[in-house]
Amino acid sequence: MCAMTPNDLNTPAPITWCPGCGNFGILTASKMAIAELINEGFAQRKDFVITADIGCGAKIYDYINVNGFYGLHGRTIPPAVGIKLANPELKVIAYGGDGGLLNEGISHLIHAARYNSDITVVLHNNQVFALTTGQATATTEHGFKGKSTPLGTFEEPLNPIALTLEAGATFVAREFAYDVAHLKETLKAAIKHKGFSLVEVLQPCVSFHDTTQYFREHVYRLEEDGHDPRNFEAALKRAREWNYDLNPDAGVPTGVFYVSEDRMSYEEGWPSVRKGPFWKRKRERDWQEIVSLYGVE
Amino acid sequence: MYRQILIGGEAGQGIAKAAEILGKAFVREGFYVFNYRDYPSLIRGGHNFNVLAISDEPIMSHEFEGHDIVIALNDDTVVKHAAEMKDNAVIFAPNRVNAEKKISVDTDAIIKELNVPRIMENTILIAAAWKYFGMPFESLEKTIREELKGNEAAVKAARKGYDAVDAGHAIDEHPERKPRYFISGSQAVALGAIASGLDLYIAYPMTPATPVLHYLAALQTKYDYQAIQLENEIAVANAALGASYAGAMTMIGTSGGGFALMGEAMSMQGMSEVPLVAYLAMRNAPSTGIPTYTGQGDLKMAVNIGHGEYPKVVVAPGDPREAFERTIEAFYLAYKYRVLSIIVSDKHLAESTYTIDEFSPRVNPSRNIIDVVPSDYKSYEITETGVSPRAVPGQADVPVRATSYEHDEYGYTREEGEWAIKMNDKRFRKVKYMAEEIARLEPVSVYGEGNNVIVSWGSTKGAIMDAIKRLKGWKFVQVSYVEPFPVDQFKDAVKDAERIVLVENDVTGLLGQIIAEKTGIMIDERVLRYDARPLTPEYIIRRL
Repeated sequence: MCAMTPNDLNTPAPITWCPGCGNFGILTASKMAIAELINEGFAQRKDFVITADIGCGAKIYDYINVNGFYGLHGRTIPPAVGIKLANPELKVIAYGGDGGLLNEGISHLIHAARYNSDITVVLHNNQVFALTTGQATATTEHGFKGKSTPLGTFEEPLNPIALTLEAGATFVAREFAYDVAHLKETLKAAIKHKGFSLVEVLQPCVSFHDTTQYFREHVYRLEEDGHDPRNFEAALKRAREWNYDLNPDAGVPTGVFYVSEDRMSYEEGWPSVRKGPFWKRKRERDWQEIVSLYGVE
Repeated sequence: MYRQILIGGEAGQGIAKAAEILGKAFVREGFYVFNYRDYPSLIRGGHNFNVLAISDEPIMSHEFEGHDIVIALNDDTVVKHAAEMKDNAVIFAPNRVNAEKKISVDTDAIIKELNVPRIMENTILIAAAWKYFGMPFESLEKTIREELKGNEAAVKAARKGYDAVDAGHAIDEHPERKPRYFISGSQAVALGAIASGLDLYIAYPMTPATPVLHYLAALQTKYDYQAIQLENEIAVANAALGASYAGAMTMIGTSGGGFALMGEAMSMQGMSEVPLVAYLAMRNAPSTGIPTYTGQGDLKMAVNIGHGEYPKVVVAPGDPREAFERTIEAFYLAYKYRVLSIIVSDKHLAESTYTIDEFSPRVNPSRNIIDVVPSDYKSYEITETGVSPRAVPGQADVPVRATSYEHDEYGYTREEGEWAIKMNDKRFRKVKYMAEEIARLEPVSVYGEGNNVIVSWGSTKGAIMDAIKRLKGWKFVQVSYVEPFPVDQFKDAVKDAERIVLVENDVTGLLGQIIAEKTGIMIDERVLRYDARPLTPEYIIRRL
């Protein structure tokens, strides 16, 4: 069989992102990661499912030619959890933005991490609602003036790395959208990881929140700075190094913060789920035997 | 022959369990029993009671009038219910309870002698009542062993209670013993889901839907499926869509408030055409309302759940037999037509226990997954019936898609008007085929004969059935499928009526509004009850 290339995963759908959008980096790295995992024998194309919610990043559903579930705003994670429960053999990647994952649907992020559901969440973090033309989200820096916040935001930005670490995620990483090579490798590691994985992607929005220059100047790599991703406390400390304000003095760590294989995945906890895909099972239950549970003789 | 027993006490005194045991023992002796449960929203204290209606003929309601026996675990029960007693009725109670017409049972002495927990007062007192009606100890003993999982101390306590009193008021009519079922609406829905081939039940607790979660959780190992509680109702509904998309036979359950939260996902069901079964157990509303009491105020929410227009099925069983059979039909239709099937029940049906002679499901649900996936598979293939062949992810090297956006046949996002028209037409083409099928599933039932007609739906069936037995010239037209509405069957059922009376457990007569919309028939005479209590035969008869 011929090796799969990223272009084999293209679709006929026209791409509608702005030229230079950080989402292109996520799309390219995702297709490369999936193609390589297929070529390495990790899984077949039919085993990959992507879920998306609503937002610019979510359009990725139309652009990768694998199984896809294009859900509601803020709800990329619940269908991913449901898909994995229904068929634990599938490799489920849930794409979502900072608006969907950290505003509208934050409960699902926290709980899926807590469950250690064996899915990979890709957080397209552009620190802004882009598809609705530029409002502040939970990760927008102090003082951001958008159309809905002309007085400037004064709330504290949320730190999704620290949050998911505390919630129980067993693989937590951050990458920069324009560093496709590193992003691809981290995505592969996250997909292969058994348990909940979060890959935050710092994704400049060229139209409403262009952080390209800031990140080019401030990101550094954890693995080059002596970080041990097996050390939870060190991971939390690194997570807190940058608070999402675009502080000129801050370093922005990228790479893998934390990995642990110590916890059972959510799907492993359910005896019937463990037996494999439900759809392959023939159900031959006898209704008369079932109602006899409440029979009185 | 009719006898009525009220058992009352505080939450935590085992009132509901005692009623279940006593009711089941009467069923074992060949009687029909209806067991009504009344409890406030608290865990300890308060006032709980059950009413057992016992007859040698089928019975599906209680009267609240004329108790033959009151079993009082506390003074409050006497204060609240003594006035409802028949003239020759008696109260069974421990020594500490103050009451006239009391048959005291020295429960303290029995508990001390046997060294059993205080909660066994309930068992002692029901055994005394059992004796009073002249019933043989053996059938109660067997029931206690079944219901309390072989608790021999309880059997001993019951024996002491049984021996403590005389058979003062023996029931002379003794019907033939026959195997029957003693089952609640919740239990019947749970068993219907299992019989349908359930793989995943996903829910978040909310009264009165929670018992289905409990029953399904208890049986998941035996029948090899899972009952899963997620973080909130929004997660439940969206996870269920994901699970069903990936091939699992999936059902969700909640009450009105939770279903409101699920509305957006129900709308996504409409667009994505991922099959789904939803169980909606109504309670008194709006808002938090009176959480542990009944009402039918969510019918139009069920019919209209979710933004936008999309076809769906709304089915409303009237008793546990129907709850079992209609749940199976809900699965059958959802997975055949790739639609949302909503089973509408309420607190009264969900938490009352009925005596059922038999079950007879009409259909056999299937996943309806195609055996061979073509290489040019289209998730939303436009077909004559509007139903696209269903494949699941992981089945073949062809992407399977589900989407909340308007889309083309492959499931790619499309914003052109042409696709909106094609796909809306496709989705709504199913309705004709579903309606034809539903026409064969008895969407409208007619009971009794007469020119006067009571029209109703859902749990009011019990009180109406028992009412028309005592009325001359009245028949009952029960609407079980509310969406798609069985227009022809309904018109036919009421065509010769001189009087039509709408009976509902809501404020504004919601079924009446739907009938007017769908058939043009305006029903002006109405008996509507909205004190959060269920209808009873007396309540209806007095108002006709």
